[in-house]
Amino acid sequence: MDFHSALGLSLPLGVGIAALGSGIGLGKAVGAAMEAMSRQPEIQGKIQLSMIIGAAFIEALTIYALVTVFLLMGKI
Amino acid sequence: MSSLATDTIHRIIEKSLGASTTPIPVIPTGPAPSEAVHGAAQAAAHAAGENSVELPNLLTLLNQYFPNLPGMPFFHHYETQVFSLGIALGIVLIAFLASRKRKLIPGPLQNLVEIVVEALDKLVCETIGHGGRRYTPFLGTLFIYIFCMNIAGIIPFMKAPTSNLNTTISLGLCVFFYVQINALRTNGIIGYLDHLAGQPRDVIGWCMVILMFPLHIMEELIKPVSLALRLFGNILGEDLLIGAFIGLGITMVHFLHSPVGVPLHFPFLLLAILTSTVQALVFSLLSTIYVLLMLPHEEIHEVSAVHS
Repeated sequence: MDFHSALGLSLPLGVGIAALGSGIGLGKAVGAAMEAMSRQPEIQGKIQLSMIIGAAFIEALTIYALVTVFLLMGKI
Repeated sequence: MSSLATDTIHRIIEKSLGASTTPIPVIPTGPAPSEAVHGAAQAAAHAAGENSVELPNLLTLLNQYFPNLPGMPFFHHYETQVFSLGIALGIVLIAFLASRKRKLIPGPLQNLVEIVVEALDKLVCETIGHGGRRYTPFLGTLFIYIFCMNIAGIIPFMKAPTSNLNTTISLGLCVFFYVQINALRTNGIIGYLDHLAGQPRDVIGWCMVILMFPLHIMEELIKPVSLALRLFGNILGEDLLIGAFIGLGITMVHFLHSPVGVPLHFPFLLLAILTSTVQALVFSLLSTIYVLLMLPHEEIHEVSAVHS
């Protein structure tokens, strides 16, 4: 396997694996937030805000993988 | 290695989009030695410019069809800066027009601006708590500016300046200096160093200083980088997605020689509105929290427990 085909194979795969992890994390976070919101609807706004911030942190990990793909895509 | 096939597809898409800014080299000869010295930002711009397709904007179109206009190479080369400055000027103009003749019973423009400002003020004050209004001007401006730049990516003939790493890194640097200067001003130099050392109050705390000090400094330095990379990656990914689906919609009906393609990208436009808003919100909210974390308040520990 030469350099180009290794890159072409691993770049999408890397994003996919990163997205898998982020998906699991997001599911847990949003699920817990939903549960909390249904239990205490009066502080829905605060929970939503914290959830969005946490979700941004989680999805940033996938975005880092995506940025790596953008960086290396020029070399394929 | 099907680089020839992908090259052909790229060229078809570029031709149908009318955005052949640079011809794609047919023979890929591995990474050139000069490419190794390119910085990360240049490599990103390089990759985004040649291998993937963003929608053409006004300046690339003008550059292609009227390359002899005065100042055209300059505008084409600095298109990100041109668009971001244009957006900034637009915001300034709207703010000026809205606040020029202030009335007790506001007109439509003043009403709109007041709604936006009040919402942002509420957001910042709720997060920072007591005395948060001091930070509303910077953080609110950050939100409005980033939101306008993100949304520019889905306006025809405009380019989202935030899909370029230079813009987002400069925004991240602004936040970095704002946060540090605020921390220095509110804590004083002693309090600032105390915060960086992890607020040692007993023997164990003083022993941990060797560990905590580099850790805190590194954290402060990583914050703007992660802000910048998150915004850049999201907006560039969104724009490339829309570009790729427009290209797909055009190539699908290419054999009919139809002048218009299938609007396959439409759902992603709606998604782009959502991402633009959420990313602008996340950027300004995280900046708010970074400001908050450096303040000498008691509720810091509650909030940091929630957010970390």
